[in-house]
Amino acid sequence: MKNIFNSLIIIVILLIGIDPVYGQEKETKVNDSSVEKISIEKLNDLIKNRNGKYLLLNIWATWCVPCREEFPAINKLHEKYKDQIEFIGVSVDYPDEVESKILPFLNSLSIKFTNYVNAEKDADKFISNLNQDWDGSVPATFIFDTKGKQVKYFTEGKTFDEFEKEISGLIN
Amino acid sequence: MMIVRSILKTAFIIAAIIIGLGFVSKLADVESVKDFTLKDYLGNEHTLSDYKDSKAIVIIFIATQCPVSNAYNTRMEKLFEDYKDKDVAFLGINSNKTESVTEVKDHANENNLTFTILKDEGNVIADMFKASHTPEAYVLNSNFDILYHGRIDNSQRESEITSKDLRKALDEILSGKEVSNPRTKAFGCSIKRI
Repeated sequence: MKNIFNSLIIIVILLIGIDPVYGQEKETKVNDSSVEKISIEKLNDLIKNRNGKYLLLNIWATWCVPCREEFPAINKLHEKYKDQIEFIGVSVDYPDEVESKILPFLNSLSIKFTNYVNAEKDADKFISNLNQDWDGSVPATFIFDTKGKQVKYFTEGKTFDEFEKEISGLIN
Repeated sequence: MMIVRSILKTAFIIAAIIIGLGFVSKLADVESVKDFTLKDYLGNEHTLSDYKDSKAIVIIFIATQCPVSNAYNTRMEKLFEDYKDKDVAFLGINSNKTESVTEVKDHANENNLTFTILKDEGNVIADMFKASHTPEAYVLNSNFDILYHGRIDNSQRESEITSKDLRKALDEILSGKEVSNPRTKAFGCSIKRI
């Protein structure tokens, strides 16, 4: 009876631990710039490997006005909370727009947190991988706890104070 | 023995809940909508039931200032042109609080959009559809059931399209088939709500 019970516990643990597994894709450096392509697999790895920190993942695009407007707030948030929270931005512009659009925008605001450009051509797959309920509107921000579990997501642009309200209570 | 049995039962329930959770994290999509009336940018009223006799009703939430929506202007007009003689109604809806009726009218004229564009003041209709971004397409039947919801196609760049999802859904509906991929997603500009 003890064996059956132990087996059940193992099944439960396995079920909690199961995550979609994808093939390997190598990360590509774009023109030696600081914005690299990111695949779904690499993004999932980043989400999982928390090293004791929360993660604030912001999905944005240079064509998105509210994304551009909230970026300085995220940069300021990064300065204040970088010891407790890892900040990552993923632009959903095209990878061939790094030099022409993404970098000029990031440089104009002296953005200090890490940014990538989405390498997944299938937007549907990228969107659903982050949250089944997310329709694809940007900006979208996802907060993951220290175990890589998604604890919050929101799709409207926010001010510094509004962001701070979202993360207060999560970290202390 | 009773205690062990009780623990086992609890463990089974927990396992069942965890398995179940994996399958219920689906989209809480709207399945059908109610009749509604909106004005177009010329001030004429349009009621959804005016189009009830069509074989399908296409509704696309669009914007004047969203680069993604604007990338689809020509494609949306072409869709309207290609399907208007096939008894498919085509309505654009602008729900952005930041874009006035005058702006919607000017934008339509400047971009040669000849299909009906309605202004959704207070984003009431966007809320009813749970529409979140532009461009976002819906196809309804005469009962206003949503047969298709999602993207127009799979690339903002016309040269890179590999899947014309909205056209495919319309063709399937017109030939009496079930829509094979009724839900798709794409990146777009969030609707600016009140």
